[in-house]
This record gives sequence, structure tokens and C-alpha cells, in this order.
Amino acid sequence: MKIAVMQFPGTNCEHETLVAVKAVGMDGEIFRWNRSAGELSSFDGYFIPGGFSYQDRVRAGAIASKEPVMEALREEAARGKPIIGICNGFQILVEAGLLPGTGKIDMALAQNVMVSKGQIVRRGYYCDWINLRHEAPSRRCSGSFLIEKGALMRIPIAHGEGNLVTTTPGMMQKLNDEAQVVFRYCDKNGRVINEFPVNVNGSTESIAGICNPEGNVLGMMPHPERSFFAWQLPAFDPKKQRPDEPGPGRRVFESMKHYIEVSA
Amino acid sequence: MSQEINLRVWLKIPDAEAATVKNTLVRRMGFADLLADVKKERLFSIKVDSGDLQELAGAFARELVNENKESHKVLIDELKFEEGYVPVKVALKIEDGEAISTKERLRSRLGFKNVVDVKKATIWKLYISGMDPELRAKEIAEGLLINPHKDTYEILGK
Repeated sequence: MKIAVMQFPGTNCEHETLVAVKAVGMDGEIFRWNRSAGELSSFDGYFIPGGFSYQDRVRAGAIASKEPVMEALREEAARGKPIIGICNGFQILVEAGLLPGTGKIDMALAQNVMVSKGQIVRRGYYCDWINLRHEAPSRRCSGSFLIEKGALMRIPIAHGEGNLVTTTPGMMQKLNDEAQVVFRYCDKNGRVINEFPVNVNGSTESIAGICNPEGNVLGMMPHPERSFFAWQLPAFDPKKQRPDEPGPGRRVFESMKHYIEVSA
Repeated sequence: MSQEINLRVWLKIPDAEAATVKNTLVRRMGFADLLADVKKERLFSIKVDSGDLQELAGAFARELVNENKESHKVLIDELKFEEGYVPVKVALKIEDGEAISTKERLRSRLGFKNVVDVKKATIWKLYISGMDPELRAKEIAEGLLINPHKDTYEILGK
């Protein structure tokens, strides 16, 4: 089982992502953007890690989405192979039209705008440990295949453009009706509160991750590779004292592995 | 009645973002035969309700332009561009936090109480040859320069 961890100029989470891929028993390698795109077909799954591809020039993900490797990934997605975009990877998938999966740009991950009690309290880049609630049924999506609906996960975020907005009529309804909303920001008890600091970036309906209609392509703003091991958790989390235990982000990588196994 | 000070600001040093846009259009999006160059400017449109406009424009430029690396041009109640390229104005249609911050900075921290509004945009200067350059500029804007869910664009006349 071979996984390509995509690397564009400015990607900065490829090594952690590759460590996580290997730690759950998959083979993997970093795949640079300027390799022959045709080589991607020999892989079973793909991660597009976080970072600042092309320095976020024009807007996050816009330039990387035009690279030939993205056209190749579009073909692999159509074959049902799993693709998980994390943070900047999510932004690239949106700009490439792979998410929400209509083939065109049907949403934006816009600049963060943090709202509390009707007031804008903060804007722009933000990093913190946040709580996620898994919204989709298990087995709905390649990156959360093993995660039960309603499960909570503590995962870090670090981005300036994660505010999901769309002007496509009916898109939010479709995402909800077809269980394409995979993760929402929530508080530690799982309550979705649509304002800062629970909704960390102003994202519509507190959405943190979505999948395509087929479920094989997932985009999420939080970083599961940064909570893969318990020792990565913040000091206030008691699980940090049990460094041999898995961290919550591990389930995303295990999910992809299991998805590939059952899809074979 | 308010009047508008337009501050066009561009880099004197090479603009890496404009170079990346040109590369992407030429190498990835099929504009190699049509596109000679891409340049970029920042545009601040500042509305004021009183004061000497030339004096204010100079003061705003001292605050908003870094003369070590940027040049600027002031236009009062007009927005004109040179010949030879198609100017495409891209702005956020969602709330522009940077414009709001600039207004707050000018009014509250720097004491320009006559500032009533600040808008910010990017001007992409597309040096396009061939038939119907404005149509090509529209294709470029919609194909790369904007995400329609958060940005708007306008092809400006000379």
C-alpha cells in the first residue's frame, strides 16, 4: 500500500505527514510537484499536506491547483482512490474543483473572521488546539472511515484562510443532506457554537472538513498529523502523560489505510 | 460631501507574486502567445470629508507606502491608468479586514478623523496582445485571479 505525500514549493508538513503514514503501516514517499505527473497512478492514496504552497500568492491554494500533478490527482480521484488534503491541502483541493466535488470552484476558504456576540473580535492567522465533532456516519469518507458519528477529537489548527464560504445556491443544503460535512468545530462537550472561540475562523455552519459526494476525497483545516502521537498533545491534556498511546489524529491515517484495504 | 483619494502603490523591487501569476498563465493556462507581462499594484481608495486633499494624500502615502521598496501615484477623485495593458481590479466581496484595519489605523491611531472610508484592492496589469484583450483579461480574472465566492473583479477603462 503506497501513499504519495505531495510537496509543492512552500509545503511545510510533508515530513510529519509521512511519519504518520508509515506509523500506521503504509508505505509512503514525498512526491515533488515537478515529478512526472504520470507516476502518481502507481500510488494507492494521496495526502496533500499543509503549508503555504507558492507563498499563498494570489490566494491560498490557487497556484498549486494549476499544476499538472493536480490534473493527475483528479484522474486518480475519479478512479476512487483516496485523497486527503490538510489545511493548505484542503485549500488546493477547493481551488482545483475536487471539493466539494462538482469539478468547478463551488466555494472558497476565505480569510478568517472571528465573530463573538455579533462583533468581529479578531481577523487573520490563528493557531490553537480546537475540538472537532465528526459529523458523517462512519465509512462515509476515506479519512474518517473508522471514526464514529459524533466522536470528538482534539486537534490543532494553524491557518489564515479557513473560513468556508459559498455563494452557490443550495450548496450548504447539499453538503448537509448528502453527509458531505465531515467535521465541525465544537466545544469540549461536542456542542457546535457558531461563534469564536468555538468556531475558530468564522466558517459557515462551523464546518472544518468536507468530502466529495463519493467520499474518497476529504479536505480538513485541522492538522491530524500534529496530534498523531499523545506526546504531541498540549500540556493541559492528561493524555500527554501517556506518550505511548495514540493521539486523536491517528484515526485519520488509520481510516485511509482501512479504506484502501476494503476498496481493493 | 466626501472626496476620494486613490493611492496606487507598486513595488520598485521585483514582484514575486506577479511573476508567479505570469508563469502560471504562460506555463499552465495556455496564455504563452498572448501574454507579454503581468504587473501588480495595491490600490487604496480613501474617502475624506474635509481637509486639503494633496496634503492628506502625502500624509497617507507616508503611512501606507514603504519608500524603500515601493513607489506610488496619487489620483484625486479619478482612477486612470496608462496605455499598453488591461487593468483588472480585484477586491474582496466579503468583509475586507485589512481595509477596516487601515481605516482604524488612520482614524484612531494617526488622528485622521476626516477619513470616512477606506477600500483596498489589487490592480493586475495584464500586458496582452492579439484580438480582444479585454475578453482575454476576463478569462484570466475568472480563471486565476479571483475565487468568485469571495472576490469580485472589474476590468477598468483607461
